[in-house]
Amino acid sequence: MEKINRLFLPTLILFGSGCLFAQQQQQQQQYDLLLQNGHVIDAKNNLDAVRDVAIRDGKIAAVAQRIDPAQALKVVDVKGLYVTPGLIDIHVHVYAGTGEPRSYAGDNSLYPDGYTFRVGVTTVADAGCAGWRNFEDFKQKVIDRSKTRILAFINIVGNGMRGGKFENDQTDMQAKPTAEMAMKYKDTIIGVKTAHYAGPEWTPVEQAVEAGTIAHIPVMVDFGSNRKERPMAELVTKKLRPGDIYTHCYSGLRDELVDGKVNPAMFEARKRGVIFDVGHGGGSFAWRIAVPALKQGFPPDSISTDIHTGSMNAGMKDMLNVMSKFLVMGLPLKDVIADSTWHPAREIQREELGNLSIGAIADVTVLRMERGEFGYTDMYGARLKGNQKLVAELTLKDGKVVYDLNGITRPDWTTLPPGYLQQGDAKWDAVTPVPVRRPAAKQ
Amino acid sequence: MTPRVTIRLTTALLALGALSAQAQTYDVLLKGGHVIDPKNGIDRVMDVAITGGKIARVASGINSNEAKKTVDVAGLYVTPGLIDIHAHVYLWKEAGGEGAQADAHSFRSGVTTMVDAGSSGAKSFPDFRDRIIKHSKTRILAFLNIVGAGMGTGHEDEPAELDAQAAAKTAKENPDIIVGFKTAHYAGPGWESVEGAVKAGDLTGLPVMVDFGRINATRNINALFLDKLRPGDIFTHCYSGHREELLSTGKMNPAMEAGRKRGIIFDIGHGAGSFYWYVAVPAYAEHFYPDSISTDLHINSMNAGMKDMTNIMSKLMNLGSSLQDVVRMSTSNPAKEIRRPQLGNLDVGADADVAVLRLDRGNYGFVDSAGAKKSGNQLLVCELTLRAGKVVWDLNGRASQDWKTFPYQKETWKK
Repeated sequence: MEKINRLFLPTLILFGSGCLFAQQQQQQQQYDLLLQNGHVIDAKNNLDAVRDVAIRDGKIAAVAQRIDPAQALKVVDVKGLYVTPGLIDIHVHVYAGTGEPRSYAGDNSLYPDGYTFRVGVTTVADAGCAGWRNFEDFKQKVIDRSKTRILAFINIVGNGMRGGKFENDQTDMQAKPTAEMAMKYKDTIIGVKTAHYAGPEWTPVEQAVEAGTIAHIPVMVDFGSNRKERPMAELVTKKLRPGDIYTHCYSGLRDELVDGKVNPAMFEARKRGVIFDVGHGGGSFAWRIAVPALKQGFPPDSISTDIHTGSMNAGMKDMLNVMSKFLVMGLPLKDVIADSTWHPAREIQREELGNLSIGAIADVTVLRMERGEFGYTDMYGARLKGNQKLVAELTLKDGKVVYDLNGITRPDWTTLPPGYLQQGDAKWDAVTPVPVRRPAAKQ
Repeated sequence: MTPRVTIRLTTALLALGALSAQAQTYDVLLKGGHVIDPKNGIDRVMDVAITGGKIARVASGINSNEAKKTVDVAGLYVTPGLIDIHAHVYLWKEAGGEGAQADAHSFRSGVTTMVDAGSSGAKSFPDFRDRIIKHSKTRILAFLNIVGAGMGTGHEDEPAELDAQAAAKTAKENPDIIVGFKTAHYAGPGWESVEGAVKAGDLTGLPVMVDFGRINATRNINALFLDKLRPGDIFTHCYSGHREELLSTGKMNPAMEAGRKRGIIFDIGHGAGSFYWYVAVPAYAEHFYPDSISTDLHINSMNAGMKDMTNIMSKLMNLGSSLQDVVRMSTSNPAKEIRRPQLGNLDVGADADVAVLRLDRGNYGFVDSAGAKKSGNQLLVCELTLRAGKVVWDLNGRASQDWKTFPYQKETWKK
């Protein structure tokens, strides 16, 4: 109630007084939004403690044990909840809307905004749906229209992920035009992807690495069919560069586990700096691989969903469900958060994301840890039971509320006048800010 | 009656044939759940057996031995698959539009049937059908917009677009999908849009759903309910307050009750701008409850106060509706409204669209279209959804087997 009054009073004053006074009020408030009393987990800054977090102009303005609430336009009590950088999911498929069936540049993809904010994700990286031939269409159709921050690995295949016919065409795997497109859109394209290749050649990997070398960006590999002519061990220990990313690391489809042991090449590659990413998807995560791998000391470097229309309603579900799987396998919460924030930010060379340093982009996620009896299923439909589950209570992108599960930023309706209008301030609210379009008939 | 007899016969034959084996008559058995099937007046613990994608039997104490797969749903509520009669799931081929992907929002909140509320009109319906409806796992039905170009295309106030004959023709050509007509967002000043939709309705015998757009001195809900609409026509956005549903005295407009007496249907259509506590709470105080619950799902409502179907059902429970009431408003009532009596129930022989819901207790907040919150202590969560007998959503892996005993070598069983 205290907080509501504090919010409501300035609003009344703003309405009731002149502009000058309103300006003075705002000047007195140093921050647009203050998250109070949350447990902050910020891997970059090695922070794992209760802190207040203040935001101004879409950037992190202060992180401290106590920040004066009088200095903030909006104060939200997040006691008992975890405050983390906005989650980064570096393996998604969001090139929807072309109408192409059975294609990741089409019907297999989904529009991101319905699947991001509600699970705390503020940044996604599309994992190669588009190549240099169709990237600009992807950008115009989806990237530029989405509220979620969308980055992309560009496919080494010029036509992108349009199905086997295209993805196995070696003539359409060209480093140069791929790198040129990546450099043209360097704000968006953060890497090169190779995926789903069935043949025995190294062509897609070699071309992708060449493109990555020209454009100074990493390569993400979905290693396709398991071929003895090009073993995974050789890929990760020889072909890839430090910083390149091996996704689907717990699929078990390419000898990740041999006779119950993690393939020694994976440990060797990790020492070299090759990155191992989850990329859960519809067919790339099995308990029989992940459980022994974690036990043998091979946790992931980054957690990602590989979300598409085939995985969204299956065992994968969403980012928090995949993160919760690692929690129930015993990975500490602070590692799970690091694997979903700072680690992927570094992997895609976007160090302004995934952390709560002063001046960082204020993408912030507030999570609740639920305790109970939960079940998690893998790609085969096998279940592992656990007693922890992460739920997103609040998501901020660029300092503004984009999702609020239980209305913790909202005033109680009984405190408002009859016929009340939209309540948020555009300084902190991107869901229902004032003013907003309303039917003209309402007088 | 005939399908029921056929199913029973088939079941009996199957049972006989399988006697030598394990006598596994049923594909799936949902065991121990509290069944709420408003159409059949069932509201108690019962087992639900499914065979060949259809409901095979609803009874107490069906033996697990009779089923290939048994899912323990004790402590949960088993209801017909939810029907959301106001959604926007027509994604345009070109960039733009506000539609959402049906499958991405339906199953995880127990919805198995979505009715698109006028996103397409006679001109765009063929594209909607071919490109979206045909490929969707969710059952998609549609109210056809009386505006030929459809919703949000900039043509919603053009008289030339209001072609009742064309709309009726398209509806007659697509009787498996089109369940009625929609009029929406009309700025007036006259009744052209409503009259066009009703005319199309008369030509086909189908109901009309109205988003009433702008009102004025003569274009008001009193005239709409008493003169313009027919019994069975649907007034959506009923708690928006944008069209004098609630008077400045804080009392409901008597036109609402008068309309209900005439047989007008009142639907929620929550959306991003059509549900306010200051309307819903007085409406409940005057016992003016909705006939059906619907989301008005689109890209601007999905992450705001609306969220999803079970969230809105929870809102109404926290306003005072019983669980049985909100299930009825989301199953048998909407099925009746769209004249699909085969949906929204667990009749033997019905398509096995089933939702398994969990009722959580705790402290929750529910937000309206202005961003105002009402606290509540009940929340419905969807645990399991079956569409035509197949598991299409399983929140906690209840239909799965523990990984330590899972036959990974065979990898045969997949959902």
